[in-house]
Amino acid sequence: MKRILLGTLFAAVSINAMAEAPGGPNCGWGNMLFEGQRGTPAHFLASTTNGTSGNATFGMTSGTNGCSTKASLTYGGKSWLAMNGMMNELSEDMAQGQGEALTTYAVVMGVAPEDRARFASVTHEHFQQIFNTADVNAETVHTNTLAVLKTDPQLAKYATEA
Amino acid sequence: MLKRLSLLALSVSAPLHAAPHLDSARAQQLADLPYWIALGHYEKGKLGGWRSYVDDRKFFLADDGAHHPAQELQATVAALYAPASLGNQHAQCVFPARTRWLREQLTLTDLPRPDCSEYREWYADVAPHSAALIFPAAYLNSPSSMFGHTLLRIDKADTHSNETSLLSYAINFGAYIEGSDNSILYAWKGLAGGYPGLFALMPYQDKLSEYRSLENRDLWEYQLNLTPEETGRMVEHVWELKQVQFDYFFFDENCSYRLLELLQVARPSLDLTSQFPLTAIPTDTVKAVKQSGLVADTRYRPSRERELLARAEPLDAEEQRQVLALSADTAQLQSPGFTALPRERQALVQDAAYRLERYRANGQERDPAQAARSFELLRAINRNPPPPLQIEKPGLPEEGHESRTWQLGVGTRDDRAFAEYGLRMAYHDLNDNAYGFPLGAQIEILQLKVRQYEGNQWQVQRLDLATIRSLTPRNALLQPWSWQVAGGLERVPGKHGDEVLVSHVNGGAGGTWQLADDVLGFALGTARVEHHNDFAEFISPAAGFNTGVLWRNGLGNLSLEAKGDFFTNGEVRRSLSLNQQWELSRNLGLRLSAKREFSHLTSAQNEVMLEMKWYHY
Repeated sequence: MKRILLGTLFAAVSINAMAEAPGGPNCGWGNMLFEGQRGTPAHFLASTTNGTSGNATFGMTSGTNGCSTKASLTYGGKSWLAMNGMMNELSEDMAQGQGEALTTYAVVMGVAPEDRARFASVTHEHFQQIFNTADVNAETVHTNTLAVLKTDPQLAKYATEA
Repeated sequence: MLKRLSLLALSVSAPLHAAPHLDSARAQQLADLPYWIALGHYEKGKLGGWRSYVDDRKFFLADDGAHHPAQELQATVAALYAPASLGNQHAQCVFPARTRWLREQLTLTDLPRPDCSEYREWYADVAPHSAALIFPAAYLNSPSSMFGHTLLRIDKADTHSNETSLLSYAINFGAYIEGSDNSILYAWKGLAGGYPGLFALMPYQDKLSEYRSLENRDLWEYQLNLTPEETGRMVEHVWELKQVQFDYFFFDENCSYRLLELLQVARPSLDLTSQFPLTAIPTDTVKAVKQSGLVADTRYRPSRERELLARAEPLDAEEQRQVLALSADTAQLQSPGFTALPRERQALVQDAAYRLERYRANGQERDPAQAARSFELLRAINRNPPPPLQIEKPGLPEEGHESRTWQLGVGTRDDRAFAEYGLRMAYHDLNDNAYGFPLGAQIEILQLKVRQYEGNQWQVQRLDLATIRSLTPRNALLQPWSWQVAGGLERVPGKHGDEVLVSHVNGGAGGTWQLADDVLGFALGTARVEHHNDFAEFISPAAGFNTGVLWRNGLGNLSLEAKGDFFTNGEVRRSLSLNQQWELSRNLGLRLSAKREFSHLTSAQNEVMLEMKWYHY
């Protein structure tokens, strides 16, 4: 019994360890806005208690959400792929013009602290251009953001680093 | 054994490096130090000696390292001198925390230098600088979540200046569950230790959405005052626990206990784990961490559900109807009813509608029509953003009453006086001191009450295994069910005015409504099975009702309840009860209970009791 358990454990782990290339199915890259969350809340003595995990990942994903990191996609050591798991929050924050996910987006885009307020207001203004459909994915959001930044004299420098 | 070790030491140290000779007295002396004990997760065995909580062969280098800290230490020192060519498999790469500590203690200046590329990359990616203890608070409609969970967040150097904790890692310890065991099996195996426990490191963002959105629990973030060095020490040790299996038990060797151990590795002067010999309830561990002076700052993140309710709170009935209409059909954005609203009210209504849409989508597969509606609402929000939500911080969960409760009561039943002595292992009932707990949630585990009537006549009054009640108010936007389950032994009216001890299981479901600011009304249909010696059959089923009001007033919580059980054998048992708590201090309460019971077996009985409750430890 124990041996079987161990076997499956390592199987799960090795799947996790295999990073997917951007666009690969398992890293969630290419998910559309409002992608459903995994799992359902269990309201009795289930996962609410003591925290359970169906897997035992061990990091090396926070920057990339399980996707492999390409140097060309990173800014200041952080990959904007990290935004992958925050698309819903980002869309909400950008619609309103403020919020933690929007700040995080500015940081991974390499926007300096003094330009972040400007970044928030410009992306808020162009929200409908950046999130242009309900089916938009992270990659398109990023491309659209760069296009918007290019049109702003103060922020254009952050769109050319790629 | 020793021979094997020395052979190993010889064989690995032959080429260049020689492991220093470590005599057994010195090894024993080092192995007795708390830090080595912490690194090996050892505890004093019940019959003397040591045992490790780690239940995994690969964590130990000595044959019986799980029981012999000194042998494990000797074996580790020997392994540190293995050829550097082992690379990532080298003990120095697998056990960086042990390596550092032994190097310092034994001044090992001549260690081989393997290239630990995997560990280096991992550590650089985590980039530990500071840490926060994360506590997802109880969710009203899931009283079992009162036991809660704790995890750690590891922040980088610039996390705070940039406000990017969404990019941090979380360290989580949980039972590793295969496949799809159902809740009951999970609870049982969790109690019995049927699952292995494992550490995992995952994006904090994942845990946030799990708790705030999926489970609708508020999150408390306790920023710890660990130095970068202390944080690094802890993360270093976490690497040693990668894929390592622990014994896992719900009540003691759970997530909270393991995190306390990690904090002790971070700051060896702390003594946290010894405070929890029996059970480690997450709120208690938060208390312990706070009392030890580790908490620098507390931050509150409301759940998505709370945000939705806060947004809808100032809306009147007509505006709430607009919220429902908008979330069903975004074309309503152009309807005269909506556009007639003042612009700032429109902003609130459409934001509430958006939040309701997302709340409903929770845990579901992506539905294109719903995504389109959400998107349409987002565009409307973009054109007319609402003011930021202001949500008042609720009471700090760790400042609520303690978990274990001693009870001492005096009262009369009809004309007989009695004293009653009780102990409850956990946790909270509807009337208990309310600070830090949601109104309408109850979870009690293991409660024993013993009564002493005049004439020194003793009897077991009740033994509750578990009592769970969840009374969540329904409103225009959300319609949660209320429910309750209970099981154990209790006294009920029997023939000739006797109180008969019966074993029972019962449950119910229904609705709760917010009648006023601090008043809830509830009505539930119930079902019950019991074994009663005065009944002819072995097991008697009953159907019934349970209804009442719960009022949070200046003294404490008051409950007024009516209950009825209609047995298939003809017995009808009904009761009316009143409970008023007087909150004397955080950990002291006085409760007045009055009850009138009716039964076909005997005449109506009255009982009044005044009870002192001491919430202790």
